[in-house]
Amino acid sequence: MAAYKAALINEIEKLYKKRKALVALIISLVVIVLGQLAVVGVRTGFGVRGTGSVEFPVLVLSVVVNTILPLFTALVAIDCFSGEFSHNLMRVTLTRPVSRLKIYTAKVTAIAVFILANLLILMVFSMLAGFLFNANSATLTAVARTVLVYVISLFPLFTLALGIVFLANILKSGTSVFFVAIIVFLAIKAFGIFFSEYSSLLVTTQLDWYNLWLANSLPLAKIGREFCLMLGYALMFFAAGFYLFDKKEF
Amino acid sequence: MEKVIEICSLTKLYKNGRGIDDINLEIDQGDIFGFLGPNGAGKTTAMKIMTGLIRPDRGDVRIFGHSITESYEKAMAEVGCIIEIADSYPFLTAYENLRQRARCYPGVDDHRIDEVLELTGMIKYKQEKPRKFSLGMKQRLGLAAAILARPKVLILDEPLNGLDVEGMIDVRNLIKQMAEQEGTTFFISSHLIHDVELTCSRIGVIVNGKMLNVDSTEKILQNYATLENYFVSEVERNGRV
Repeated sequence: MAAYKAALINEIEKLYKKRKALVALIISLVVIVLGQLAVVGVRTGFGVRGTGSVEFPVLVLSVVVNTILPLFTALVAIDCFSGEFSHNLMRVTLTRPVSRLKIYTAKVTAIAVFILANLLILMVFSMLAGFLFNANSATLTAVARTVLVYVISLFPLFTLALGIVFLANILKSGTSVFFVAIIVFLAIKAFGIFFSEYSSLLVTTQLDWYNLWLANSLPLAKIGREFCLMLGYALMFFAAGFYLFDKKEF
Repeated sequence: MEKVIEICSLTKLYKNGRGIDDINLEIDQGDIFGFLGPNGAGKTTAMKIMTGLIRPDRGDVRIFGHSITESYEKAMAEVGCIIEIADSYPFLTAYENLRQRARCYPGVDDHRIDEVLELTGMIKYKQEKPRKFSLGMKQRLGLAAAILARPKVLILDEPLNGLDVEGMIDVRNLIKQMAEQEGTTFFISSHLIHDVELTCSRIGVIVNGKMLNVDSTEKILQNYATLENYFVSEVERNGRV
């Protein structure tokens, strides 16, 4: 456990120091500002209400969960693996008394920490923007539900990250992983549109699973099914990614 | 003498036919073992297997009795190494690079980090990032990382790579001092045969992936004028120079 803890702290420090994670967070904040300006513009220009204080964070989530969040997750996941493969840095990481399983697990945990941090920062700032610009009444229940939908969005994004980590362990270059990941993501999205009867099985559809948590009466069966599907994908991607990582020669 | 490193029937063959074939070797505590061989002989392959970077096709390496393939953490607990190039994270400072390594070993604190930076002449670059370092400075930082946790075994692939004359002498003295005073065992490969002659107590020659001969430096120098003469004669006897 001590070895895993050391490896996890190391991975988080590397993510933080690389600045890519920081840039991702800054861009996320810019999106909030632009989103808020659009809402204010619509309200003052057309007299349309737009969104209320607690609806704005959910509006932001609906936009970022299918756009910049998967993009940043992909960038960070690729950097954690392909970045180190290509610069021979994996040797530095591996020649310590920490097993490959612990290093692999620490790396994916660090990616999960990044995703969660990105989601929470987006949530805090979109809530602040919502309260500042749309000062109408907000209930505690609505705020709690907003927190919940942001936190549970970690699951589909983490599943997606594990899929990208799996790809990063197949392909050699980070650039190829990035483009293949985008093409596969768009292909699955398109598949979900054309074959909507299968869409609930797809990782890309599960990115929107936060909508299930917004319903007045929670569709528990559907939530459970989606969760099990994500867990299944996550376990398969984790195991397959680790199998390839463990076999790699540096 | 306690056997620190045991290499048994170690085999790793690449698709191009190169690699190592059935290497057997035992290194005792306090030995400074010089691993010599021409380019492509299999030195780095053997050292990569010894540090778990690649897996052997057959055979095993045991360090303090722990198999590198079966109980990696225990086998590597007392090992420091430099393999091929002394890499470090370019986006972290010299101190942060060592701190990353220190976290994996109990009892390695900031004081020890300063101590190894001082020993390798890198203390004044403590807060600088390696992306601005020369090859020699990177090598010194790599050495600092390798000795950070006071390892009982050091596996060093070309440790003098890129070092200036002063640096080479410093490292040579450091190796001898650690072997004599702390009983540290060294497994060193180097193309600088004169330095190997001055530093190592035992020599092993590998050619075409096969271990030819293992002998003490003292005994070799009784029969040959220099280690270079011995090396050339051993390699010639096996068909290439």
